[in-house]
Amino acid sequence: MAESICRSLRDGALEGELAPTLTIKDSLASPFSFNVFSHILLQLSSQKSQSHGIVIVALSRSPSFYADFLKNKGVELSSSNKWIHILDCYTDPLGWKDKARKSGNVNVVSDQISLATSSYKSVKDMDKLFLAITDLGRGLVGENKVRFCVAIDSLSKLLRHASLQSVAGLLSNLRSHDQISSIFGLLHSDLHEERATAALEYMSSMVASVEPDHHSSENCLSEKNFTQGKFSVRSKRRNGRVRETSEKFKVEAEGISFASISAEDGTTVAGLLPKVQFNLQLSEKEQIDRAKVVLPFEHQGNGKPIQIYDGRRSLEESSGEGAPISRCKNEDSALGEIIYFRDSDDEMPDSDEDPDDDLDI
Amino acid sequence: MAATRTRGSSFSRNVSTVTSQNSGLKHGPNGTTFLSSGIPDLDKILGGGYTLGSLVMIMEDAEAPHHMLLLRNFMSQGLIHKHPLLYASASRDPKGFLGTLPAPASAKEDKTRDLTNEKDLRIAWQYKKYFDPQLNISSNNGAQQDYCNDLDLRKPLDRHFYSGMNVGCVSIQDSPDLASLQDQCAKFLSQFSRNEANISSAGRIAIQSFCSPQCKFANMEWHMLSFIRSLKAMARSSNAVVLVSFPPSLLSPSCSKRLQHMADTLLSVRAIPDEDKEMAKLLTGYQDMVGLLNVHKVARLNTQVPVILETTTFSIKLHKRRYLVLECLNQAPVDGSSGSSYNTSGSCSGSTKAGSLDF
Repeated sequence: MAESICRSLRDGALEGELAPTLTIKDSLASPFSFNVFSHILLQLSSQKSQSHGIVIVALSRSPSFYADFLKNKGVELSSSNKWIHILDCYTDPLGWKDKARKSGNVNVVSDQISLATSSYKSVKDMDKLFLAITDLGRGLVGENKVRFCVAIDSLSKLLRHASLQSVAGLLSNLRSHDQISSIFGLLHSDLHEERATAALEYMSSMVASVEPDHHSSENCLSEKNFTQGKFSVRSKRRNGRVRETSEKFKVEAEGISFASISAEDGTTVAGLLPKVQFNLQLSEKEQIDRAKVVLPFEHQGNGKPIQIYDGRRSLEESSGEGAPISRCKNEDSALGEIIYFRDSDDEMPDSDEDPDDDLDI
Repeated sequence: MAATRTRGSSFSRNVSTVTSQNSGLKHGPNGTTFLSSGIPDLDKILGGGYTLGSLVMIMEDAEAPHHMLLLRNFMSQGLIHKHPLLYASASRDPKGFLGTLPAPASAKEDKTRDLTNEKDLRIAWQYKKYFDPQLNISSNNGAQQDYCNDLDLRKPLDRHFYSGMNVGCVSIQDSPDLASLQDQCAKFLSQFSRNEANISSAGRIAIQSFCSPQCKFANMEWHMLSFIRSLKAMARSSNAVVLVSFPPSLLSPSCSKRLQHMADTLLSVRAIPDEDKEMAKLLTGYQDMVGLLNVHKVARLNTQVPVILETTTFSIKLHKRRYLVLECLNQAPVDGSSGSSYNTSGSCSGSTKAGSLDF
């Protein structure tokens, strides 16, 4: 659910834990991850959260875009210097314009942006990027235990410039930094090898996938695919379980809206488990109950002879006549006798014994 | 709540006895020695513990941190028994991890787990009164508790256990390749070489998340394979257990398969979906489960006879949210209206060395 993702990001990291990280994944069939990204950005800017500042690493959109976006959504920008800062890796990521300017040929026009922006010119160097992000963040929130949040415009762009190892290293350093409250970034999964996507999913605590609706996957050009689709989230909970949720989303002029899916699409659990057996063991309560059961042929140790109900008389009558019935069999010879003729002479004498004599009835 | 014992047979062929000299080691069959994994149920499943000289590999699930539970218990048990420990991980500060190791449970709580060895069958036998009441078989448990402690995951281990000189921590995040780690492991394992008849001490090596993506050598698959191979060879000739956890989904399938084949004991942990109504209907005790553990291979040194387990999939539960407990999966009672109650056996058998027969 988009709501629960925003809530987890707002709640941020606990002491000694890695920061929650969200990766928003999409593909060409349903390329709306930026809408989700901006939706989350808006939620984090407008609502109360653990983080007191946001650092946006802008790689695929210019800082002025963000300024306009926030202004259109009604976020007040005058005091924005205190809580938002953009690391501009869009204008000149590799420092070429700088070099061109130094050689004197090009005049670079810088636009006025109402958001605090710092330009960053060496996107290939992840260590420097990490330092830049943390410096900016610390500049926003100060040195104490106050935390800030990091939004990476496009992990795909980062992967274009740097190797998977360094991007993964950057993410892991960000996650273990004690002043970072949460991280979210977007990824276009069809631009990369599966390994890269798997590695980034491994490092995130929540993975949100933007997918087309199932039934319209045949005709990708249908109009429906341009406005709506399925939004599924897999989040790793603290207890080690994985929560998977799905929603429908719809992209409109004002933004993106989420609605829950009516029909359940149950995943089969069958493949996960081997054959299971029935439980033959007892819980503690069941053991206690079993110990309490009075077995019919056992002395309970209280000196009374056992009442055995043999079904022929009602219980009140048997209280008077219970005594002769329950005595050992040796005594009923008064009522009748059993005369036994041996079958043959070489039968073992032991077979005469009544095996029931061993029992303690 | 379901009972806490696994369904091992009470008749066990591998009779193991505690060695008198040092706690923490146990003689096993075929001239092998065991040391404890820190989890009593896992020791029972593996027939005594991890074999000295073996390489234990844990396949992680990308979505769940259960391999950390196994690692923590392994390391903590070693520190309690004063086995020297070498720990390597891809984080910047591996020493910080030592602060999260569990401590042994206080003695009072120990007793409630193995309380009564109840008589299974009550027979009305008239000669019973001539015998003394049977002594509880729990007299053996006294020695057992020493070998494998119940570790309380909520209580951190006392600092004095790991502030000594016998704990080494290595960070592999910044090293360009595995050569330095290999040298450190070689140096560590040379302390425990298997020349003499008596085992003076046993060592433990724990490597966490071996090929995690932020390591610089994560792309160099053959390099990693040859590292593990030499580590296994070094371990084989020393009195130590090497425990390595790795995420197989981040490697190419062939590399992952090769690593699995190299392991002497192979375990894998898997996440379970949260609030899954189907699973809750299918299994009892679903609410307490945090994950699944599969035993694919059990180390058998000095013999050709494989270990065939009754079941290979166990559920990981936290008893009282403190103690790690492994249980067999139990099916919930099936009501007559629903359909078939048996599932196809899924991904429970990995490599085929210990031909697991699942009925």
